[in-house]
Amino acid sequence: MALNGIQIFKLTPKKNCKECGCPTCMAFSMKVAQGAMKIEQCPHMSEDAIASLSEATAPPMKTIKIGTGDGEFTLGGETVLFRHEKTFVSKTRYAVALCTCMDDAAVDAKIKEIPKVDYERIGERMYAELVYVNCSEDADAAKYTALVEKAAGIGRTLVLGCTDPEIAKAALAVCKDSKPVLNGANASNYEAMNAVAAEAGVVLGVSGKDINELYDTVAALEKLGNKNLVLDVTGADLKETFANAVLVRRAALKDQDRTFGYPSIVNTVKIAKGDVHMQAALASLFTMKYGSIIVMEQMTYAEALPLYGLRQNVFTDPQKPMKVEPGIYPLNGADENSLVVTTVDFALTYFVVSGELERSGVPLNLVINDAGGLSVLTSWAAGKFSGNSISKFIIENVEPKVKCRKLLIPGKVAVLKGDLEAKLPGWEIIVGPREAVQLVKFLKDMQA
Amino acid sequence: MPFNQKPQKFNAKINTVTIGSGDKTVALGGNSTFPFYSFDAPTENTAKVGVEITDMGLEGVSEGIKAYYEGATTMADIAKKAAAMEGADFVALVLEGGDPNGENKSVDELIAIVKEVADAVDCPLVVEGCKNVEKDAELLPKVAEVLQGRNVLILAEKEENYKAIGAAAGLAYNQIVGAESAVDINLAKQLNVVTTQLGVNAQKIVMNIGSACAGYGYEYVVSTMDRIKGAALGQNDNMLQMPIITPVASETWGVKEASASEADMPEWGPQDERGIDMEIMTAAADLAAGSDAVILRHPQSVATISKMIKALA
Amino acid sequence: MLINRIFSGNDAVFGLTQQAVEGAVSQYGADKAVGFPHTAYCLPCYYSVTGVKIKTLGDMKEALGVIRTLMTREHALDDALMSGVATALCAEFIEALKYLDGAQPYEEPCYGHLADSIIRELGVPLVTGDIPGVAVILGSAPTAKEGVDLIKSYQAQGILVTLVGGIIDQAAELGLKMGYNVRIVPLGRDVTSVIHVVSVALRAALIFGNVTPSDTASLITYTSDRVPAFVNAFKPIDDVILAAGAGAIKLGFPVISNENENIVEVPGALIACSDTADFNKVSLEARNIKIKITNIDIPVAFASAFEGEIIRRKDMQVEFDGSRIDCAELVHTKPMDEVEDHKITVIGPDVDTFEIGSKHSLAYVVEVAGKKMQPDFEPVIERKFHNYINCIEGVYHTGQRDMLRIRIGKEAFNAGFRAKHFGEVLYAQVKNEFEAVVDKCQVTIYTDPAECTRIRHKMAVPTFEKRDARLETLTDESVDVYYSCILCQAFSPSHVCVVTPERLGLCGAVSWLDAKATNELDPAGPCQVITKERVINEDLGSYEDVDEAVLKYSQGALEHVTLYSIMQDPMTSCGCFECICGIEPFSNGVVIANREYAGMTPLGMTFPEMASMTGGGVQTPGFMGHGKHFIGSKKFMKAEGGIERIVWMPKELKETVAERLNKTAEELYGIPNFTDMIGDETVAVDPETLVAFLTEHAHPALSMEPMM
Repeated sequence: MALNGIQIFKLTPKKNCKECGCPTCMAFSMKVAQGAMKIEQCPHMSEDAIASLSEATAPPMKTIKIGTGDGEFTLGGETVLFRHEKTFVSKTRYAVALCTCMDDAAVDAKIKEIPKVDYERIGERMYAELVYVNCSEDADAAKYTALVEKAAGIGRTLVLGCTDPEIAKAALAVCKDSKPVLNGANASNYEAMNAVAAEAGVVLGVSGKDINELYDTVAALEKLGNKNLVLDVTGADLKETFANAVLVRRAALKDQDRTFGYPSIVNTVKIAKGDVHMQAALASLFTMKYGSIIVMEQMTYAEALPLYGLRQNVFTDPQKPMKVEPGIYPLNGADENSLVVTTVDFALTYFVVSGELERSGVPLNLVINDAGGLSVLTSWAAGKFSGNSISKFIIENVEPKVKCRKLLIPGKVAVLKGDLEAKLPGWEIIVGPREAVQLVKFLKDMQA
Repeated sequence: MPFNQKPQKFNAKINTVTIGSGDKTVALGGNSTFPFYSFDAPTENTAKVGVEITDMGLEGVSEGIKAYYEGATTMADIAKKAAAMEGADFVALVLEGGDPNGENKSVDELIAIVKEVADAVDCPLVVEGCKNVEKDAELLPKVAEVLQGRNVLILAEKEENYKAIGAAAGLAYNQIVGAESAVDINLAKQLNVVTTQLGVNAQKIVMNIGSACAGYGYEYVVSTMDRIKGAALGQNDNMLQMPIITPVASETWGVKEASASEADMPEWGPQDERGIDMEIMTAAADLAAGSDAVILRHPQSVATISKMIKALA
Repeated sequence: MLINRIFSGNDAVFGLTQQAVEGAVSQYGADKAVGFPHTAYCLPCYYSVTGVKIKTLGDMKEALGVIRTLMTREHALDDALMSGVATALCAEFIEALKYLDGAQPYEEPCYGHLADSIIRELGVPLVTGDIPGVAVILGSAPTAKEGVDLIKSYQAQGILVTLVGGIIDQAAELGLKMGYNVRIVPLGRDVTSVIHVVSVALRAALIFGNVTPSDTASLITYTSDRVPAFVNAFKPIDDVILAAGAGAIKLGFPVISNENENIVEVPGALIACSDTADFNKVSLEARNIKIKITNIDIPVAFASAFEGEIIRRKDMQVEFDGSRIDCAELVHTKPMDEVEDHKITVIGPDVDTFEIGSKHSLAYVVEVAGKKMQPDFEPVIERKFHNYINCIEGVYHTGQRDMLRIRIGKEAFNAGFRAKHFGEVLYAQVKNEFEAVVDKCQVTIYTDPAECTRIRHKMAVPTFEKRDARLETLTDESVDVYYSCILCQAFSPSHVCVVTPERLGLCGAVSWLDAKATNELDPAGPCQVITKERVINEDLGSYEDVDEAVLKYSQGALEHVTLYSIMQDPMTSCGCFECICGIEPFSNGVVIANREYAGMTPLGMTFPEMASMTGGGVQTPGFMGHGKHFIGSKKFMKAEGGIERIVWMPKELKETVAERLNKTAEELYGIPNFTDMIGDETVAVDPETLVAFLTEHAHPALSMEPMM
């Protein structure tokens, strides 16, 4: 049972020394309870207190870091099974697969293809963060190492799929500084693989012929002192893989079974080889249910556009809605003479409204200012989408750039009309429809 | 110590609602686990896949879909091909042309199409309105009337028009009532409560709890479904135990990522592929969160999602 | 006397029926098929009541024996009513005999039997309220004109009118257009033809209500609750009509008549009304039928798009200003018989006698009556006036109570907007939005200055004072129930507010009265009743009832909640709380921060930091979100000692709540000017300085029992 802030506070020295970086012991305790800080960060905590607390406050699922620099990613650290219970913290990361079984032309094509998908969506860079390099059974160290080097060339963090300790060792020699994952430990080789991973200082991926073997192998590795693991839950088929992914996560979070408290790898290439549409379906399925790394044959725009959108949604904090950057967004080829439309910066509202506005085909300048990331009525009620805030933004940012002096406001805040007229002399304030779906017709009628 | 697998057992289950008549029926719902958790308890009914067609024929659909329906000239032809699609469990006819802000087809005109489609196929049918609450209140009771005996699912009543549609579909003409709310567990429940208060049998209601395209506020869909299934199974809340149907195609094919032509967005690649994956990924996520049925448009999406469902069963 | 008359009427009809059935049997034989066309329910009334389908004359003869058993003769109301049902069943037999051999006994304009398909079609508008009621008009009106006026009054309200007897010829005589499509259905000239509308009601119960035939209790519940029918019977009422009327009453349909001889009123069931012009009003009231207002009769538009319109001085025709002269707006609950629905009265000169740009007094009193109306809802309704009046195109409203200001623009005035139109808008909106509680509504608009002064000072102000006093005396102990509020579950899925009189919703926007009104107006909505019968611990404010409610409404996420403790199972918070209080261990008290405060608190956390760990429906002992108003409450963390624990608040918040807080502190602990002892950001934003300040001011928290 996790401790709450008050219980933790009782064990602190209560000195408010600020050495942990928090102004008070109370603030520190609350952060520890939230999992935002570790109990060890208090320099004055007694040994006994740390011992009793670290067990109680240790997260049920470990946070594992892979990669370096821009390519460093955090996996795991989840505390809930459903996002509404709190939030999911570590995004699923996607790996495009390369294999020694592919011919050179195919490998080259893939390597050329991967960097093409790289774009931004609501402040987040979207691209295949990882490359999975698979070593097929017939490959030797030279061939595998050559492929790994080639893959490393595009600068993505690698996941090495290799169960031969010697080959793995050779491959790690050329890439270990970039902190790849070595996915290859199993019941028969775990001791050797553990030594290879430990020597290279990389995260070790563990698999098993079934969930019980996986469990036993993890337990054995933990006994050897390795708690820097990810679990490859891929089974013989989809059904087994899905069961593994759910059971592993549920055992860790619901039943507090720490042996399964690690991030997961799901390899869709193994269970849906050659079927890119099925892999797309599975990427979505395992983004929803507990895949930390998902391996796919390709990540073109067709996969990326829906998948990254889905991930962005699923991993958003339910308490903090996604926000769009304030600014003027010209739509449908708008220029300085085009009508000005405004709404809030809540990402969902923005998407729905901008979608409808685009559908109308009417050139418009969509103006977004900081409304606290709330919906129209909520931000209005909170005073964040008010005559003051809108007029200030318009005067400072829009008037210098846009000549049109007509402003369309959401119908739900018709009440702002008079206030805006007073605060924006020279502007005509038009009250729009209450719902975004009515925009197309409204704009058409306005044009007529 | 070996792994101790603890199944999550619930003493409650989702209602089983059957649509269709004669020997062509499909059963929605009926399970007592979270979606696809067949390791907790046996699966009663697998999720179902419907094929969306609209009264607008093939206007505006992507190339791949057009290709599939090649040669179909009437609504009856289209309906037959839809019913024959690999992986299809039912056909969903959307009467989008009824929208007063769009084509504004008359009720009579739409009813003629409904009859044509219903006569052409004997598979289970779902009929969706045009989303305009006033028009649907007029249109859907007529649909329920002319399809008496077919046991169709009428999508959907909303808070604003549940009386007219719920009473016609659920009371007067013995169809299945689709109850649509806007991605909020309490609104979903409230609509079920008032619908049953009208006298509609709770076992004859299917929910559309609202949908979104992946990337477009989809987190609300996930959490609403998670919570509904949690309450239905964990709390035995019988006002949330209705199966969930999610019209996916109508959400996904409208977004920029799926609808922009390759000419406009050359780096994005072929439009058809983008549309398919948007549909597939949204549907897979809906099913993972709790949909007991999804409605899709592209034959590739239907085949893939149907295959995925079967592989997980 | 009434009962005897019913018995005698019943006996007469039964005798006639027996004769007719026996006559038919001897003429056609017992195997002769009998029934109505286009119905799957055989003889629908008999089938609904008994579960037996009559298919032949022989069946019918046998059934007479069953009817006989209903005709008990105890001198009691229920026996009389069952005899009424027996009369109706007899009537059905007589009518059925008319259809023997596929005969078509009814011709234009009469309909006679109505097919099943009409019922399916009719069912939907009846359920949606598009057809708000079904009137059965029976006999001949005193004059044809009176009869037709009555029919038209129902027609205008969308009510379906069925006609039996002389009224049909009276209507035809005046050329009234009749037919199902205009919702006027003449059934037949014989009194027995009334059975065709009864048949509709009973089949509706079978089709729409899923009632099992022969389950008479459910049948009667259905017709009483769901079929909004009533009978208007013109005099003379003979024993047969009276017996048939008893059948209607048994089904829940009141009978209204202008007969005044040999009759006794039965409240709510048999109602005397001497003037047929009042039939409509009396009938609707008796059957509790509410007519939806779809059109507001004013010369300018009414829409939310005009809500934000401001009328500037230069565009203004006339102004009413409560800050300068006497104005008031008021909702006043009255007994049913003292309110005349849709009566709008203007007392004083109208707007067109005022000079352009001049300032005047204005008061409007909206008098409402309703079976479920409570004076506690008055302020809830009144608060909407601002919105209603603002939605009028060219009219602008600010303020409330007696501090309102209204401007009418020149354009609205030129379009014909006058004082009475305020009444039309208020009437329509109040009736529509508060349909659940307001049955009748009348509006009086005062422009006469002396009257305005009187209304303001003699009526409005005392009412406001009384209401405020009631709010003051409303305590958690003085009420029987609390309310849940789950309005913000969209953001905070597992959060449930328990709203009590002394603890409003933590958003500060939902008081106990608001929650109560929300519950009445929208019974399946976000506010539900929570009983408080099974107390666990008075001090903590824990109840088994409350725990069960939060478990249910949080979908199992929360098991225990206390109302008065922040340490033990504190109430959860959504995201929209006005304030957060958090335990400050060094001073043994709590710090409160409000949303507007951006700076640091002595806890070492800012409001957003505290919010991030308190929100989302998660219980965080030691921290709790709440409304500003709760700070001055006697229940504020009562379990930990109450408001004495407050050691720090932002200065601005302190000033806002000072008056109430000081009053409570004085009352509870005899501490004067308690807020002077409470720190703020100008004193300290760290615990050490705060404790020094508190020590200097001898803050009581320092010497209280440790909180943890």
